[in-house]
Amino acid sequence: METLMVDRIHSSLRLFMHRNAIFLCERLCAEFPSELNLQLLATCYLHNNQAYCAYHILKGTKLPQSRYLFAVSCFQMNLLSEAESALCPPNEPNSEVPNGAAGHYLLGLIYSYTGRRLAAVDHFMQALVVDPLFWAAYEELCILGSAEEANECFNDAAAIRVQQQYSAESSLQKLNLANDNGVLPSNLGDTSPRKSKQLYCNNTRDIPAHPYGMATSALQQGNSMPSSVAQYDTPSPTVTQLSGVVPPPLCRNAQIYLNAMGGEVTTRLNVNAANQVPRRKYVDEAKLRKVSGRLFSDSGPRRSTRLSGEATANTNLNVSQVGGNGVNHSSARFLGGYSTSSSSKMSSAAQRSVTVRKGQTLSTENFDEGRRHEVFDDLLRLDNTATTSSAASNVADGRWPAQDRSGGILAQDSRLMDGIRDLLGLLRTLGEAFRLSCLYRCQDALQVYSKLSEKQFNTGWVLSQVGKAHFELVDHFESDRYFELARRLSPYTLEGMDIYSTVLYHLKEEMKLSYLAQELISVDRLSPQAWCAVGNCYALQKDHETALKTFQRAVHLDPRFAYAHTLCGHEYVALEDFENGIKSYQSALQVDERHYNSWYGLGVLYLRQEKFEFAEHHFRRALHINPRSSVLMCYLGMALHALKRNGDALEMMVQAISADRKNPLPMYQKAQILLSLERYEEALEELEHLIAFAPRESSVYALMGNIYKQLNIHDKAMFYFGLALDLKPPAADVAMIKSAMEKLYLPDELEGDL
Amino acid sequence: MATESEGEEETAAAGVGGKLTGSPQLAVDGGDLREMAKKAAWSVSSCKPGNGVVALRDDNLDTYWQSDGAQPHLVNIQFQRKLKLQLVVLYVDFKLDESYTPSKISVRAGDSFHNLKEIKTVELVKPVGWVHISLSGTDPRETFIHTFMLQLAILSNHLNGRDTHVRQIKIFGPRPNPVPRQPFHFTSREFITYSTLR
Repeated sequence: METLMVDRIHSSLRLFMHRNAIFLCERLCAEFPSELNLQLLATCYLHNNQAYCAYHILKGTKLPQSRYLFAVSCFQMNLLSEAESALCPPNEPNSEVPNGAAGHYLLGLIYSYTGRRLAAVDHFMQALVVDPLFWAAYEELCILGSAEEANECFNDAAAIRVQQQYSAESSLQKLNLANDNGVLPSNLGDTSPRKSKQLYCNNTRDIPAHPYGMATSALQQGNSMPSSVAQYDTPSPTVTQLSGVVPPPLCRNAQIYLNAMGGEVTTRLNVNAANQVPRRKYVDEAKLRKVSGRLFSDSGPRRSTRLSGEATANTNLNVSQVGGNGVNHSSARFLGGYSTSSSSKMSSAAQRSVTVRKGQTLSTENFDEGRRHEVFDDLLRLDNTATTSSAASNVADGRWPAQDRSGGILAQDSRLMDGIRDLLGLLRTLGEAFRLSCLYRCQDALQVYSKLSEKQFNTGWVLSQVGKAHFELVDHFESDRYFELARRLSPYTLEGMDIYSTVLYHLKEEMKLSYLAQELISVDRLSPQAWCAVGNCYALQKDHETALKTFQRAVHLDPRFAYAHTLCGHEYVALEDFENGIKSYQSALQVDERHYNSWYGLGVLYLRQEKFEFAEHHFRRALHINPRSSVLMCYLGMALHALKRNGDALEMMVQAISADRKNPLPMYQKAQILLSLERYEEALEELEHLIAFAPRESSVYALMGNIYKQLNIHDKAMFYFGLALDLKPPAADVAMIKSAMEKLYLPDELEGDL
Repeated sequence: MATESEGEEETAAAGVGGKLTGSPQLAVDGGDLREMAKKAAWSVSSCKPGNGVVALRDDNLDTYWQSDGAQPHLVNIQFQRKLKLQLVVLYVDFKLDESYTPSKISVRAGDSFHNLKEIKTVELVKPVGWVHISLSGTDPRETFIHTFMLQLAILSNHLNGRDTHVRQIKIFGPRPNPVPRQPFHFTSREFITYSTLR
């Protein structure tokens, strides 16, 4: 009965029928209390977004997989210290972090949220070492500013590591594409009649198949190694021990095995256990760390989906990897609900279910195999849920054409290697580009992005990143263009849309901005990006109070979204509420120390409050993070000028001018500084240049008027003041200019009178 | 000789302004002006319980302040620092308030109570809606007044009523330059794009 229940639970999870799964699982735990079952129950709860339930049932458990699940629940409930101590118990400093790469990643996140940057970096690096295909860890490293070059992380050594994890001699990679093949699982699950065959299990405790092919080796039985290496199901040698009870499955397995081998599986049922002996080797894989096979599945047709989007998915997936318990149940496995491929239900041999490769032609066949395989398997109490083992794993886009079975294990291996190399190549490009854009070396990043293949480039994520890079280069038109493309391709994506709303704010496109805001709200009313867009709309209309309220709402929705805090800060400053502005900017910096906009915001705030040293300090910090920004250099120069360090200020302005030729502001500021130094001729020269750049800028003429006034060249002063007025500056400026003009008359009048 | 209004109360012509009748819309250029008195201290010379000074600032045109004493009725607005002000707008409604509607209003400015000088007087004729009282002088240099305190004195009401109703008052002044420490605002797109980060 236990196996039966477990199987049903897994299949419910796979089909997202959470209530069913939870109910059955609760009955299971009541009937057969064991830690494995508890893990399965926690998994069900986590799938159903009930982290608090999982938290309570797993509190105090010691097995690695349980600790991992407990940590995930704590993390989701924002109980970071408990999550940390679950993953890394303070009394056992040497205990291994459960679930390898995923555990390290989770720890890294916890450390970065609690401000322990170095430890976070360390763990993310470890996660990458364990699993070189773990993009999310690399992404976090980039965000923290400590990523090594992508070439280092996604290089050949990494390829070899990945291969080791996957190759179990000719094991197939089973990339479980359960996700992809939504169909598979169901079929598998459903069609297998549940016979109670069972049993068997006692001999072999196979490690249940893993969703992503992390099938644990069947032989493991009880070992704690969860190997989640993708495996396939090779019937274990113990198969021979199998009683005649399930001979068919064996065949199936074999079949699958053969399929997996890439051989044509045509002879079904001929396989005999003997064939399987070599397969058993994969059992050793169990010792290898699990790799998230899912990544593989991501490659292939899924590549086009945004890799970053996978990040969370990855975590889920990883979680599903078999917990180190070695125990069979991997409730975790199903965490993702991704159907795992294998349910190893194999009786005895049960090794993991195969994840049949989704070869093109083979798929159906495999499917069937798998299915039938399932049938018998499931009875085994191997905690495998009958997932679809058939999930075909699709290795990197069909790199494994089904047809190709040369029957060679070698052939498999080389295909595997190719697949790995290709995936690593892709990750390398994306990683390098992302790293460069986090370092604000935007031109370089754009170059790297342009190296991507067209199909990869034309995806929401990449286009958003390109848009972001253009935004950082203050090229708002291009940025708008790319973001628009991104939205057309994936209108449901929210990431990066806050930047897009800022771009539209700069471009003063009210219509587009309000349209964007409305669309984002309709996609997800609870996302901070949507509310940032709405707030930018109000800010564009100068309704700072409403904008502030909206940004505060974004902050409430996600306090870890740094940009929302920064925008709140900007609005406070616009409302002249400097205290709260400082608080907001500082909150933003607590979330993300490399958010240079907040450093800039603080600098501007202090400039207004006339605390010039503070202003200088903050601008320098901002410039340290983004050393190419001409706007930052210009502001730093303004702060230096206010501190009367005019030499330094002028130097800064020159730097700013050369950093971005299109930025007129440094020239203007330089003219102002020269004016204050009474170097009138040079100031006028700068301003003359400026007129070429921006012929309709009233302040340029006004300043020139001022200079001529100082030089007592009244007719020119009048001329320029007149030009300035013609360009319709706001009333305050009009008042000033006109009063300056009046003063010009005075000396003449006096002379006239005399 | 025209004097700069810097630091001094404007002593511009304090004659009777044109007759104002109010308009249903609040015609204020939001780009140029903003409401200045949110953090100011508001007080009135007298009020009826339930219709106090709060009603003047609650953005609700149904609630009103009702005075309860001798004329002139005074509304005092004290700012935390010297501010540039350009426009006073009040909402009154002859149709609803009839004899409570103000008819002659004097605007005074200064450093504090002992220092106030009248800067403008206006007469209202059966006003319905927002009444805009500009504080500018004739001279373009006198667009703003620069002051610590403003006082609106209601000297008389329509139909010789004793007490007065005012439904809302707003004070407007210029927006500060978004770029700090600049003598002039930027007007062209090239400048504005590069002038701030967000």
